[in-house]
Amino acid sequence: MAVAGRAQWKGYIRFGEVTTPVALYTATSTSERISFHTVNRETGNRVRREFVDSVTGKPVEKEGQVKGYELDNDRYVVLEPEEVAAAVPESDKTLRVQAFIGCDDIDKVYFDRPYYLTPDKMGTDAFALLREGMRKKKVAAIAQTVLFRRMRTVLVRTHDKGLIATTLNFDYEVRSAKEAFKEIPEIKIKGEMLDLAKHIIGTKKGTFSADEFDDRYEAALADLVKAKMEGKALPKRAPPKVSKSSDLLEALRQSAGIKATEQPRRRAGKAAPKGRAQASR
Amino acid sequence: MAPPRPYWKGYLKLSLVTCPVSMMPATSESEKVRFHTLNRKTNNRVVSRYVDAETGKVVDEEDEAKGYERGENDFLVIEDEELQSVALESARTIDIEKFVPRNTIEWVWLEKPHYLSPSDEVGHEAFSVIRDAMEAEKVVGISRLVIGRRERAVMLEPCGKGIVVWTLRYGDEVRKPENYFDDIGDGDNDPKLMSLVTSLIEERSKPWNPDMVQDPVQEKLKEIIESKRKSAKKGAKPKGKGKDEEPAYTGNVIDLMSALKKSLETKSGGKSK
Repeated sequence: MAVAGRAQWKGYIRFGEVTTPVALYTATSTSERISFHTVNRETGNRVRREFVDSVTGKPVEKEGQVKGYELDNDRYVVLEPEEVAAAVPESDKTLRVQAFIGCDDIDKVYFDRPYYLTPDKMGTDAFALLREGMRKKKVAAIAQTVLFRRMRTVLVRTHDKGLIATTLNFDYEVRSAKEAFKEIPEIKIKGEMLDLAKHIIGTKKGTFSADEFDDRYEAALADLVKAKMEGKALPKRAPPKVSKSSDLLEALRQSAGIKATEQPRRRAGKAAPKGRAQASR
Repeated sequence: MAPPRPYWKGYLKLSLVTCPVSMMPATSESEKVRFHTLNRKTNNRVVSRYVDAETGKVVDEEDEAKGYERGENDFLVIEDEELQSVALESARTIDIEKFVPRNTIEWVWLEKPHYLSPSDEVGHEAFSVIRDAMEAEKVVGISRLVIGRRERAVMLEPCGKGIVVWTLRYGDEVRKPENYFDDIGDGDNDPKLMSLVTSLIEERSKPWNPDMVQDPVQEKLKEIIESKRKSAKKGAKPKGKGKDEEPAYTGNVIDLMSALKKSLETKSGGKSK
């Protein structure tokens, strides 16, 4: 596997009483993006960051900085880096499978980073067995281990002949969807509006290919910078027309290619329902 | 967690249907145990500030600006409002171009999740139409969006009353799995082993539960803090670490068979000793 590069981590995966050697490889890389520098608007110079004591205002060197946990107003418990490190359990380099979960049952919002998980040394038989068993039962495995000096939970799922281990964010790192969406009113769309929207979706069905997408931002930004340097006024674009409830049915009909005067084509046997949405409950 | 201020505001569009929306990240950097940086000598908080790299003078927050480097040490100041007029519709509108069946996009493409909500009463119904039609058709939407100074492909998936927007990785951001997986053998497909392993999986299958993503380290940190608080003088000395031991691994097929049998004998509950 000359092209594969070096493993990020080598250890074992353990399911039940079976332990087999595995390796993790980074599955992704991050492409570069445009970076701006922070500058002083007054002088146009770059700025640099400085760390100062909030009371004395004097700069504090890196060695003088320490982590503190606030007990109450301005009282802190100081924690040295070794103490924080000691909270991480010792590593036995083993991904312990704690449970299997149905693939459809997983909340994707916890996903962090994917790694390719492969057998290491002579571990192919047990690896292939776990892979085929999980494939057959349509499950993924939840496992925990110390990874890169942090305790991590990973989700292991089959992918072709290999496995992909995705690190998961911890519960406190993920906002609750229920909480985030609680202000949205309970509206269930039915009848003609739903049918029209479904029809529009039907005209736009396809497949996803990541290669079809490229980043057009850099070029667009370069144009903007050029316009500004040439002293041209930057275009102010009018906001798009929002579809109010009263216009929505008409917008859907037009999107579906049905003229305003024309009655929407309905499937036989169905009574023409009212176009208005009905609040459920 | 305090509700974050909207991170992105714009429009959601399907054909001629448009509604105003706002979006926030579904994840946060917040830690359960939150630390501050202190000055070891004074025990005061350490704060960061910007100083002018040339004059050394402190720069007020309102004088901090984004600079585009047009030459060496020559910056063009660009205001956030100006960035809004970049000539890409995807800077402010998520125009759904395509729909694909749910669960057909490999997880490896998912980069970062966000929560999308209608931001104005006027668009509640239009938002609901787009969401409910995707749900009814069991599809997810594909669009483009400028976010974090990049234009990315995004996937829109209905989630309760809202929509989850996933930024998707670019084609060249995911390494070719073949390079890693092609050499893996098919393994010994012994039907006996297979039936043992599927029994093991069945026995240890559980419904998804957020308890599975609890962080034991943060709990431990809390304990350390608590013990330090109680005995501010003594301090909590970490216990000495044991040696990292390499476990013995299950080698051949005979080993596998007996290990699997042993797994099924031991009382399940997921936790191995």
